Amino acid sequence: MAVINMAARYKTTVKEPGIPGVLKMTEDKVIFSPHDPRSAMKLNVDFRIIKGHKFSKDGSKQALLNLTKDPEKGGGYIFEFDNFSDRNVCRDFVGKVLGRFQAGVLSKQQDQPVLEKAAGSGHAEQLSVTEMERRMKLLREDRIYSMMILIKHQSSGQGSKVLCLQMSGQQLMTNKVTFSLTPEIIHQIFAEKPAVHRAFLNLVPTKMTEKDFWTKYCRAEYLHRTKNSVAAAAEAAEDEELAVFLMHDDILANEARNKIRRVDPTLDMEADVGDDYIHLPDHGILRDGSKEIVDTENEIAKRTLSQDINRHAAVVLEGRALDVELGDTRTVAEALARSKQESSAEISDENGNLERQIRVSRMTEIEDLQDPINFPYAPLLIKDPRQYFDSQQPNALKALGDSGAGVKPVDFSLSTEEAYIYLMRQISEVKARGLKSPVVQPEAALRVLNGLNQHLSSTRYHLGKNPQESVLGRLPNWTKDELLHHWTSIQELLRHFWSSYPITTAYLYNKVQRLKDAMAQIYQKLQDIKESVPSDFRHQVSLLVQPMLQALDAAFGHYDNEQQKKSGKSGNKANGFVQ
Amino acid sequence: MKFQIEDVTVYFPYEHIYPEQHAYMVDLKRALDARGHALLEMPTGTGKTAALLSLILSYSLSHPSSSLKFLYCTRTVHEMEKTLAELRLLFSHLPPSSPLLALGLSSRKNLCVNPAALSASSRDSVDSACRRLTASWVRSAAAENPSIPTCEFFESFDRAAADNPVLLPPGVYTLQDLRAFGREKGWCPYFLARQMIRYANVVVYSYQYLLDPKVASIISKEMQRECVVVFDEAHNIDNVCIEALSVSVRKQTLDGASRNLNRIAQEIDRFKATDAGRLRAEYNRLVEGLAQRGNLALTDAWLANPALPDNILKEAVPGNIRRAEHFLAVLRRLVQYLKGRLQAENVETEGPVAFVASVNSQAGIDQKMLRFCYDRLHSLILTLEITDTDEFLHIQTVCDFATLVGTYTRGFSIIIEPFDERMPHVPDPILQLSCHDASLAIKPVFDRFQSVVITSGTLSPIDLYPRLLNFNPVISRSFTMSLTRDCICPMVLTRGSDQLPVSTKFDMRSDPGVVRNYGRLLLEMVAAVPDGVVCFFVSYSYMDGIVNSWNEMGILQDVMQHKLVFIETQDVVETTLALDNYRKACDCGRGAVFFSVARGKVAEGIDFDRHYGRLVIMFGVPFQYTLSRILLARLEYLRETFQIKEGDFLTFDALRQAAQCVGRVIRSKADYGMMIFADKRYSRHDKRSKLPGWILSHLHDAHLNLSTDMALHIAREFLRRMAQPYDKTGSGGKKTLLSQEDLARMAEDAMDMY
Repeated sequence: MAVINMAARYKTTVKEPGIPGVLKMTEDKVIFSPHDPRSAMKLNVDFRIIKGHKFSKDGSKQALLNLTKDPEKGGGYIFEFDNFSDRNVCRDFVGKVLGRFQAGVLSKQQDQPVLEKAAGSGHAEQLSVTEMERRMKLLREDRIYSMMILIKHQSSGQGSKVLCLQMSGQQLMTNKVTFSLTPEIIHQIFAEKPAVHRAFLNLVPTKMTEKDFWTKYCRAEYLHRTKNSVAAAAEAAEDEELAVFLMHDDILANEARNKIRRVDPTLDMEADVGDDYIHLPDHGILRDGSKEIVDTENEIAKRTLSQDINRHAAVVLEGRALDVELGDTRTVAEALARSKQESSAEISDENGNLERQIRVSRMTEIEDLQDPINFPYAPLLIKDPRQYFDSQQPNALKALGDSGAGVKPVDFSLSTEEAYIYLMRQISEVKARGLKSPVVQPEAALRVLNGLNQHLSSTRYHLGKNPQESVLGRLPNWTKDELLHHWTSIQELLRHFWSSYPITTAYLYNKVQRLKDAMAQIYQKLQDIKESVPSDFRHQVSLLVQPMLQALDAAFGHYDNEQQKKSGKSGNKANGFVQ
Repeated sequence: MKFQIEDVTVYFPYEHIYPEQHAYMVDLKRALDARGHALLEMPTGTGKTAALLSLILSYSLSHPSSSLKFLYCTRTVHEMEKTLAELRLLFSHLPPSSPLLALGLSSRKNLCVNPAALSASSRDSVDSACRRLTASWVRSAAAENPSIPTCEFFESFDRAAADNPVLLPPGVYTLQDLRAFGREKGWCPYFLARQMIRYANVVVYSYQYLLDPKVASIISKEMQRECVVVFDEAHNIDNVCIEALSVSVRKQTLDGASRNLNRIAQEIDRFKATDAGRLRAEYNRLVEGLAQRGNLALTDAWLANPALPDNILKEAVPGNIRRAEHFLAVLRRLVQYLKGRLQAENVETEGPVAFVASVNSQAGIDQKMLRFCYDRLHSLILTLEITDTDEFLHIQTVCDFATLVGTYTRGFSIIIEPFDERMPHVPDPILQLSCHDASLAIKPVFDRFQSVVITSGTLSPIDLYPRLLNFNPVISRSFTMSLTRDCICPMVLTRGSDQLPVSTKFDMRSDPGVVRNYGRLLLEMVAAVPDGVVCFFVSYSYMDGIVNSWNEMGILQDVMQHKLVFIETQDVVETTLALDNYRKACDCGRGAVFFSVARGKVAEGIDFDRHYGRLVIMFGVPFQYTLSRILLARLEYLRETFQIKEGDFLTFDALRQAAQCVGRVIRSKADYGMMIFADKRYSRHDKRSKLPGWILSHLHDAHLNLSTDMALHIAREFLRRMAQPYDKTGSGGKKTLLSQEDLARMAEDAMDMY
């Protein structure tokens, strides 16, 4: 493995014929010595300056290998070989050496905690060399496998891929299996494979480094992918941590058992298993080709692609509730564990049953035989602003919390008898206690009395009217009209405002500007109204105005946010965006 | 709504009714009047179940004297739940003075509420855990010794039942309701349900409770003749029938049976030493005949004799197996004989007669002894007070086999295969007793009940079923669907995007070109069709293969850009969860694809109606595995007995499966869906013509030979058309939705004609 000598022709461009000679590659140098000792084309390059390698396809005209210095510019050292098998030997060697260098370089360049673990990739190479013999024994193949793990830091945006796709293909040509793990993928692994997640929390960093952990994980994944169950069983027997990855996932099984109880009964096929008497062992027709019997005796779980896909889709459906920056693996793992605990706690069985039943009955109905179901809704078209206002008012007040105590229905009904009894009790108390030390200070009593009087007069005012009538009815006419007018215009403006997001054209941009200005004006007017009303009504009016102001504030907030975001990335504007 | 069909007032749970539902009810009513059997095919999505339930319940309400009972058989528990939900809807529209009781019945595993028994995982272990707590001898022992555990739920049920046998108030009870009721009252729901089926007006349970003689004789023996039996979704009923009477014996079975026999021998010795009188009593009872079995305690009853006609039950058990040890010796010889047969090196096929003769000559067991094996074993296990019956499944299997082989002389064959055809290097000998004649299992049902209704969305060709099941329906009719608009759009896709033919024919199925074309088809469709898409494949192995290939080709990733992918697996729990998630994904608007297998569990009974299925793609023609010996033997039997050609039967069987798969997308006329038959063989007339009429009538000639791009175009057009508003009641001269007034007018018109 250390040195390769191969006959090759060295050239600087593809087209020229090239100088025949011998290419010698060691683990850190590439040396080319031409057959003609007079030739000036000798070459002695350090592997470190080589950044990549390209090669012609097997079976194409020439067997080329290009060692590039700078992947963007192209050019470099081109070697032509007599046949492809020679070329492939060299290419594989280069690939391996480069892989090691790159991993090493990465770790040197940056010293973030995660990447420090990546520095162990040289160690991983060593490890894989020692492992190699064992694996070769198991695989009985002459190929050299090396395992390279890169913990990349850029997010690759592969979130919707199934996990097992992340292995970038078993590149038989280079005899190298590369697993790339981005934080995205790690998060996905944790979400989809709770057993790995648990193992990570237990083992890292107390028992092994994160690097070792992922190396093990990748080996398990590799064994699984190559469907080499014998090798998998052998390795799992030796290495109990590795076994964790290969065994059946018991957390998943438990989760499934819990979920199945809450599943819609019209879907529950698990219940059939209990009902189907044919499933008695050896009853029914066994071997007619329609039933395929799976052998479940093997201890190493046969995880199939279908299961992975189902699991993946389920996780996607649950959605990601993590608000942690994807970066440090440990924090991601812990955050995930927390979010899981929360989600499992909030499920209650009782509600579930009822909900399921309603669902089932809704499902069974044949829709077009039924009279159309009228869902309660508020029409978007506002014909009568007053009516619309009234219909929205309770919602708005509810949203405010129960601070609108003034609107709370008060029980005024007090029978004469009760009032009499109450009065008598008061009198007897006064009699017993005497008037010497009054319970209430006279000034305070006067104030309360005045307040009560005022309250009584106002309640009498609105008692006489329709009880459904809201506080609006008691406002002066001009205030009322003004309020209603603003209310409708705000609704209309907001509708336009929100519907123009996201802003994609200049037209929308201008529209939003105009809308914002209009709303700002109204905002001011509302403030004025609030201040101008007589003091009796000020509280009521501010209650009314509050939801409008809130809605406007939300819109302004959104506008400002967008504005900030835009100015933040004004350097590279999105396609089609015109200011 | 409420209307009259002749003398019956029909209560229907909706404001409107489809004309075909009305016609269906009229025919059904005539069949009930005639007290005969009926065979009715009505397309899916026309509210078959609702029509059926409302007619039969209304019929029994208007004939209160006849005490008509209604047995509704579904194939699966989840279909049972759907039916019960429909019943609940119907009950809310019945006149309030009708005290009807409807309930679902399932096994202990689905009904038990005792945590001790429920902790067992499989059905058999729940059964035996229950038996350990409730068997009569356990209970009598517990009466003397309170430290022996019993089931408090059963005890309190038993006390309550002694006071008042009718324990459930009228209403509809699903399994969940029964469990909740049982928990609340502290009564055992399973035995409560078993008790209440005697008083219930409607019982919904699985096919097996009527067809499988082992189960039928305990669950259904008390049903009187005045029963209307309905087999819903019955297009597969012949397969269910033959499965009910088929048994296979493997090496593990025989080894297990030997162990069981050793254990029985120990038990016999123990009883001889301690309680010899018990064995003697059993002997005396057997001398008098099996008829005694009738007065067993409720909890001791057990899967009874698989196939014995009534007259045999009254016969005495043959003298040479009355003694326990003699019977044991017979069983040992039988197991030994079967072990010898299993060592065959080549495939052997023989009829029951020859097999029985060979058993007789080599093991000295005659036909009559064989026939009584099952009952004798049953009696012996009861005598020995064995409660952990799940340990004795192997010997039970052997006895089932013996009884079946000793009872029937035709319609069966015994096939011994040394290995599985597809894995010749793995020795896995198996001896299968396979039934070929579906009429054997269903005959008692036809004989015993006055009306049996067989109904499904796909019973084409409808004349085949009476032959297969050997009965004479008074009404046999296939209804068409009157559509307001063309809400189904079947297409036959024969070529892929590169214009090469696609098929799952054996020589083509692994061709990467075909795999890619199928993948491209799916990819194009998921990009164009909203919400749910369902794909059916011909087998699990084919599905696994193609999914792997798509994964490697990157097609699956592209599909996932548009929709989430869910796959049916052989693990029911996983599949159920996948289905549940699939529905969630459709509900939330993410959209999903479900990969499933024709003839699989999902194809049997899960609906993909409305947004859960806007498109079904049937990849290939779901033929049976034609090299299977069992199938070959069955085909031969069908040809000799019913003169049905092999090819015809295979095509019929494949096409009914395909039709069943695609039929799952439509639930009502407001619903819509597309169906793509992706195989070039569907364009051939002999295949296509076997599809049910309601699909054929929508299959335009222009849609018969499509390539992927053309299909995509048609799909887009169709979806756009379906998005337009339309008149639900039907335009033009033909009404597709009838109101109560329409029905009244129709009745008057009919009167006028006379």
